[in-house]
Amino acid sequence: MQDGITRRQALAAGGLAALGLMRVAEAEAAGIAPKRGGLLQSVITPEPPILILGVNQQAPTLEVGSKIYQGLLEFSETLEPKPLLAKSWEISADKTRYTFHLQPGVLWHDGEKFTADDVIFSIMQFNMTLAPRARAVFASIKSATAPDPMTVVLTLAQPFEPFLLMFDVTATPMMPKHIYDGTDYRTNPHNQTPIGTGPFQLDHWQRGSFIRLKRFEKYWKPGQPYLDGIVYRVIPDSQSRALALQTGQIALTSGNDIEPFDIPRFRAMPTLAIETKGWEMFSPLAWLELNNRVKPLDDVRVRQAISHAIDRKFIAERLWFGTAKPATSPIASTTRYHDPAAHLQDYDPKKAMALLDEAGLKPGAGGVRFTLRHLELPYGEVWTRLSEYIRAALGKIGIALTMESTDPGGWASRMSNWNYDTTINYLYQFGDPTLGVERSYVSSNIKKVVFTNTEGYSNPEVDALFAKARVAPDTASRRKDFYAVQKLLIEQVPVVWLIELTFPTIHKKTLHDVITLGTGVQGCFDDVFLA
Amino acid sequence: MSSSPDLAANVPAPSASLQAGLARSLLGLALRGAARLAKMLAVLLAIAIVNFLLIHLAPGDPATVLAGQSGAADPQFIAQLRHSFGLDRPLLVQLWLYLRHIAMLDLGTSYTQDRPVLGLILDRLPATLLLTGAAFAFALIAGIALGALAARRAGKATDTAVTILALAFYATPIFWVGLMLVLVFSVWLGWLPSFGMETVGAGYRGLDHWLDVGRYLILPALTLGLFYMAVYARLTRAAMVEVAGQDFIRTARAKGLTEGRILRRHILRNALLPVVTFAGIQAGQLIGGSVLVEAVFAWPGIGQLAFNALLARDYPVLLGVFLCTAAMVVVFNLATDLLYRLIDPRMAP
Amino acid sequence: MRTVLRAMARNRGALGGAIFLALVLALAAFAHVLFPQSPWDMAGAPFTPPGQDGFLLGTDSLGRDVAAGIAYGARVSLLIGAVSTLAALAIGVGLGALAGYAGGLIDDALMRVTEFFQTIPSFILAVVLVAIFSPSLASIVGAIAIVSWPPVARVVRAEFRTLRAREFVQAAEVQGRSRASIVCREILPNALPPIVVLASLMVASAILLESALSFLGLGDPNLMSWGFIIGAGRSVIQLAWWVSVFPGIAIFLTVLALNLLGEGLGEALDPRLRQGTRL
Repeated sequence: MQDGITRRQALAAGGLAALGLMRVAEAEAAGIAPKRGGLLQSVITPEPPILILGVNQQAPTLEVGSKIYQGLLEFSETLEPKPLLAKSWEISADKTRYTFHLQPGVLWHDGEKFTADDVIFSIMQFNMTLAPRARAVFASIKSATAPDPMTVVLTLAQPFEPFLLMFDVTATPMMPKHIYDGTDYRTNPHNQTPIGTGPFQLDHWQRGSFIRLKRFEKYWKPGQPYLDGIVYRVIPDSQSRALALQTGQIALTSGNDIEPFDIPRFRAMPTLAIETKGWEMFSPLAWLELNNRVKPLDDVRVRQAISHAIDRKFIAERLWFGTAKPATSPIASTTRYHDPAAHLQDYDPKKAMALLDEAGLKPGAGGVRFTLRHLELPYGEVWTRLSEYIRAALGKIGIALTMESTDPGGWASRMSNWNYDTTINYLYQFGDPTLGVERSYVSSNIKKVVFTNTEGYSNPEVDALFAKARVAPDTASRRKDFYAVQKLLIEQVPVVWLIELTFPTIHKKTLHDVITLGTGVQGCFDDVFLA
Repeated sequence: MSSSPDLAANVPAPSASLQAGLARSLLGLALRGAARLAKMLAVLLAIAIVNFLLIHLAPGDPATVLAGQSGAADPQFIAQLRHSFGLDRPLLVQLWLYLRHIAMLDLGTSYTQDRPVLGLILDRLPATLLLTGAAFAFALIAGIALGALAARRAGKATDTAVTILALAFYATPIFWVGLMLVLVFSVWLGWLPSFGMETVGAGYRGLDHWLDVGRYLILPALTLGLFYMAVYARLTRAAMVEVAGQDFIRTARAKGLTEGRILRRHILRNALLPVVTFAGIQAGQLIGGSVLVEAVFAWPGIGQLAFNALLARDYPVLLGVFLCTAAMVVVFNLATDLLYRLIDPRMAP
Repeated sequence: MRTVLRAMARNRGALGGAIFLALVLALAAFAHVLFPQSPWDMAGAPFTPPGQDGFLLGTDSLGRDVAAGIAYGARVSLLIGAVSTLAALAIGVGLGALAGYAGGLIDDALMRVTEFFQTIPSFILAVVLVAIFSPSLASIVGAIAIVSWPPVARVVRAEFRTLRAREFVQAAEVQGRSRASIVCREILPNALPPIVVLASLMVASAILLESALSFLGLGDPNLMSWGFIIGAGRSVIQLAWWVSVFPGIAIFLTVLALNLLGEGLGEALDPRLRQGTRL
């Protein structure tokens, strides 16, 4: 990957032009040239509370906000960095100094010039204050300077190979310093009228009904964006959304807009394309979380038995109607450093029972070996079904689950207080195991906060491998460490990985270049066109 | 949803001369009105306090929910959120602030939608009023008609049929009626739309728009209305049978009036009063039923708002909806009470 | 003659209701015999239509037997209906008796509280209560009891006020018997008939309320209930109508039977009602 970066740097010098040409060439090869004009009708669920990235990082906010704001870089489906507001970058030999050369001629929507000051403000002030994810990484920035208005130099205390991944718009959006400096970012009056550098600007937002974006005429890529604008309709009911897609009133849906059980009928429609790509940056991985502090879950044989008792194919096909993939490793298959050879415990209830016998947990009255509490994930119907499936599957090997249901607040607070035996959880992986996987397994992150190592798994070997991979400057040694840690974790089963979620993007076939990035519909859409 | 064992208490004596006590009763009405208004405010205050305390007993708070949704969290972030929502203040202070704001019609700001709660509720209120209004009108008209029919033919097959029908709808879960109507009229027959309130993006205007909404309204209004229709039909029948047995009807019959005239002019008129009164009180409870109906039909009213707020633990919205619905019930009761006294002055103290 | 015929017809209804309830009770009692496997087990292929592969009423999206769900659901519905009614009766009879017997300020205050609870939209209150205390058998029973006691209190209070003025009660007071003894031995037994009638109707509405809560996803997640099956079948109604249809019929028939029984009881216990003011 070290070589990769240099190669990419070379490309990056003339990156923009080359990239633009390549796209057009591809399209022309397919007999379709980018066409200017047209309004894209889409849908947004739920309606975002605000469009200011950083202040709110939820998926709907990201989907709309990513058209208005941009990051320094964007990432391909294989998570290679591509130039955006930074037209090129260099990394020092010791991997601690990052120099970004900014795109010239970039304007904010209010006409002000975009400069290195904005970049430093966005990184060191805005996102440091608002975003826990950015804070964790950017805390290790020793200095941030701007030798000239078009150059930014960031110096790290130690090497951090996944550092560039933090410069996608979904992690660190560039915000206008002249609007936000010295104000309370959450309550700034300009939060109603977002000012970004993106290809689209807010035209009209009728709360509860639609958000309309229009083309920013002074966008820095000449001739782009192709679309005149984008309308995001607010349709709270999933059946109404499905109907609107079916009748052609909307041309694009994403995320959870369409329920899994409706996907099969849209697959059959010839005018629509369904893509499951575009979630590589996030690669949400769902698992059955086991509280390792609770007996007998502290016994690795019991955890392995549970893993053997679950039919992941059934879950992916019957509950998610084929829109999810069985998990094969703690590192999602779409994330960097996933070991393609990794595989989890096979579905084998007999072996599961043998393991439980071996652990001395013999069946008692009614065939029950022991009873655990199971906290349902309150994120909708399919998750409830999943919990019910798991109870039935574990019931077959003699583990009785007592279900507890709660609301999102109750769930988060029970998780942060470690007050559960088993539950369902799913986390984004953010493209690199150090950013999105490590947090769930290292003992230094055993905290009374959600989305940390709440299961309380602690293994010095795992800690050491993650720590080594975190600061290792080169790809090869990181790969070695991550492959080792995957093997170790799979054997140890701190949690039982279930499925990799993919949220299908469905669009009319007349809409082109929708999913070209690892962030999918959270890209800036400056090259999307209708033809 | 409440069953109504104390219905019979409301059957009044027949109406006689209206003018006699009108002047006196108007004064009484004004005094009575003031007293009722004071009582209403006390009830609202109590509701506000109870709601506030109840919801603060809940496990988990919105800061953890929002932190969870942002995909990552650290204690500093959660503390920031708690502070910005005022959740780090003492409970009594929070209660006092809440009551003071309510007095100024400020119901707070939604945690998840960053909008004033009152605005959210007012946005959704017309949909709920349309649904409950249509259901109420249908229930009252159909219920009285069926009840009158049954009473007229008391003891005959029609009576039994109406009684059984009323009993049936009284015993069927409201959400299931909704699902079955969807199954038959949307899924199998394809006649009527099953979800939502209008054709999205169709861009209908004027009359076309209202016809469109009307098509979407039929199934949910029927669903909500059928249960109350059953209640009103049974009530009408009972009241009419009761009135029919009274002296002044025998007098009318002795005077040689036709049965049809007696039924319309004497029995129905006198029997309707308790039905309408009870219906007025029940109108508030319709809003409770509309939560279920809105959930089944994805009708964008305050019932759905409340349920979503509950799932997202959006306290201010939940408190706001609860307070508004309770306030509506109180106002309905007051209005019915006053109207009743105006129509039938002998009820005044 | 006509009155007698009608009374017979009505009794027939009550009889039918009683027989049907006995059947439901038997189904609940022998659920584990009829369906030895847990109703949560994935017994067959998902979405098996009724009558195929030995599934009388089909299977749901996870391949669970709908018929088994209905049998085990009968336990839950009857249990919640009975227990929450008992709890509501305890609150209602207690407060109503106190108000009716004591009178004066206590009566006034208790009646204000009762009115207050009747003002709040009862279904929304139940939803909020269950959600806050998280769905479990206890919280559902508690919520149903809290929203359904006020009518009991009113009826009991009225009965107590009437009975207190009667000679036999006043005679007992003159004899110097203790209040507790008078309430329990003289007044309560005489106030019982309307309470019994009310109770049978309350079981019916408690079953309806429980099914509505479960339908919204606020049921006890460990108990297979009729409302839960309907709620889980809602989103797949286009694929599998049977999942939502059959449990609904079960609720309908049970509630109907309870209503018929309640009316029959009311007439049997209160001859005045034979005059035709049936509600």
